[in-house]
Amino acid sequence: MSLRVGTLLAAPVTAFLLALCVAPLLILFAYSFFRVDFVAISYDPSFANYAKIAGSATYRGLILKAFGSGALVVAITAVIGYPVAWFLAKRAGAMKSALLTLLLVPLYSGDLVRVFAWRVLLGAEGVINRSLIWAGVTDAPIQGLLFSPLATHIALTYNYLPFMVIGLWLAFESLDDAWLEAAADLGARSPSRFARVTLPLTFPGLVAGGLMVFVMVVGDYLTPQLLGGASGITVISAINDLFGTAFDWPLGSAIAWTMLAILMAFFAVGAMLIRRSSLVGGS
Amino acid sequence: MSRLSTLWVWAVFAFMYLPIAMIALFSVNDSKIMSLPFSGFTLKWYAEVMGDGRLGGGFLTTLSVAFPVAICATLLGGLAALAISFYPMRGRGIFAVLLLAPFLIPKLILAVAQLIMFNETGVERSLLTVIAAQTVIVLPFSTLVIASVLIRIDRGLLEAAADLGASGLSAFRRVVLPLMANGLMASWVVAFVLSSAEYVLTAFVSGRAQPLSVLVASDFRFALSPSLNALAVMIVFGNIALVALAELIRRRASKTGA
Repeated sequence: MSLRVGTLLAAPVTAFLLALCVAPLLILFAYSFFRVDFVAISYDPSFANYAKIAGSATYRGLILKAFGSGALVVAITAVIGYPVAWFLAKRAGAMKSALLTLLLVPLYSGDLVRVFAWRVLLGAEGVINRSLIWAGVTDAPIQGLLFSPLATHIALTYNYLPFMVIGLWLAFESLDDAWLEAAADLGARSPSRFARVTLPLTFPGLVAGGLMVFVMVVGDYLTPQLLGGASGITVISAINDLFGTAFDWPLGSAIAWTMLAILMAFFAVGAMLIRRSSLVGGS
Repeated sequence: MSRLSTLWVWAVFAFMYLPIAMIALFSVNDSKIMSLPFSGFTLKWYAEVMGDGRLGGGFLTTLSVAFPVAICATLLGGLAALAISFYPMRGRGIFAVLLLAPFLIPKLILAVAQLIMFNETGVERSLLTVIAAQTVIVLPFSTLVIASVLIRIDRGLLEAAADLGASGLSAFRRVVLPLMANGLMASWVVAFVLSSAEYVLTAFVSGRAQPLSVLVASDFRFALSPSLNALAVMIVFGNIALVALAELIRRRASKTGA
């Protein structure tokens, strides 16, 4: 069959995405070179916004904080997710597809409802605090539970754990048990089997799951905003403020594109790592 | 080792369902205070939500957005899935990246980008802009659902149809389309659920008519109350019931398709 049919089918979808995803991002890019003159946008291109970001300790700090949060949640979800993914692929048997569905169902409750549920659990007037007081464990509510980095990171882990598990599970599905048996026969203990056989062979899944979790944590607006309290100011909420109350669209655009550029670099590296390690795994 | 891992998996699944279980429990607790011990069973919080006209209006707005989004996302997703997983095409890699982009780009960044574009081109914010914007971010998911059904279809069937003299179009209509029908239905339901739950993008591009998610967001921000629990539970279980339906349809597809 000629290559024409698929190309023809893809054409309307391509046009739609160019108009409503690519074009807006390009306009955003153009805006990042403009600046605000009192209440009007001055269409006079310069690198001033990018210079401002590079020179501002606040913005540099917020960007670093976002990537720090991303890395932390990737690490936590990987530690929690490895045994789960292994179990799903190798031990779940007939329950496998039911368990996979159960894992994904909470995702469909919507991010708003999930964040709300954590507020109900962790708040000063919330379930945990009220119940601790009722049980006589403490006299006053533990304030640090809600509106803290702890609350934000618990909820972020909760939100994105399924994506890590799916990535790792796919890798475990294609992992041949014979490798692990061979390593055991050769006398490798289980920590060393994990480090020298399981980890390298499931590495593409770890990178794929990790990348998904990382971008979603970095780009999450609601969770830090509603659970983090004063710590909830993120680079994403800074963009939101610049487009709202602060009314500096050009600076907001420049921060947004700085984030996009860094995320794209991460993807390029991730894709390269996956390609290289699947070459090793295949040989 | 094996018992330990079983315990671990149970613990992780308990963690995943803990928040939902808690709000469900306290949505039927007969007390304004959310704490142990339980004060008895009541449905009054649900009655309070059902009687709230503002939320009812928001719900209707949500429906009038989610129906068209589900249709558009399924049509476009169907085309995309056919192109990417069934018929050969030029530039498949680039097309795949383009399709994934709305899923990977932070939603708030996409939202402000669309806001600027609508502003620059003089497009008034309305339910139409919400529908267009939501279709963009639902598209990767609807494509995935349909493609997961398409890749199980035996290509031999197409060759058989061609050998029997069917043209490309009639082979599609009489062989491929019936086999992918379940995928389209599942995609419709998933798109509907994702559209109704979406908040960040919706808040940015919606005009005066505000869908339920935007109304609920402002309530959630300020107060905790058992009636908000009841509302959250209704949203969660409505969504879960729909997704279960979609999964059933998709499973049926994999049985007949195999």
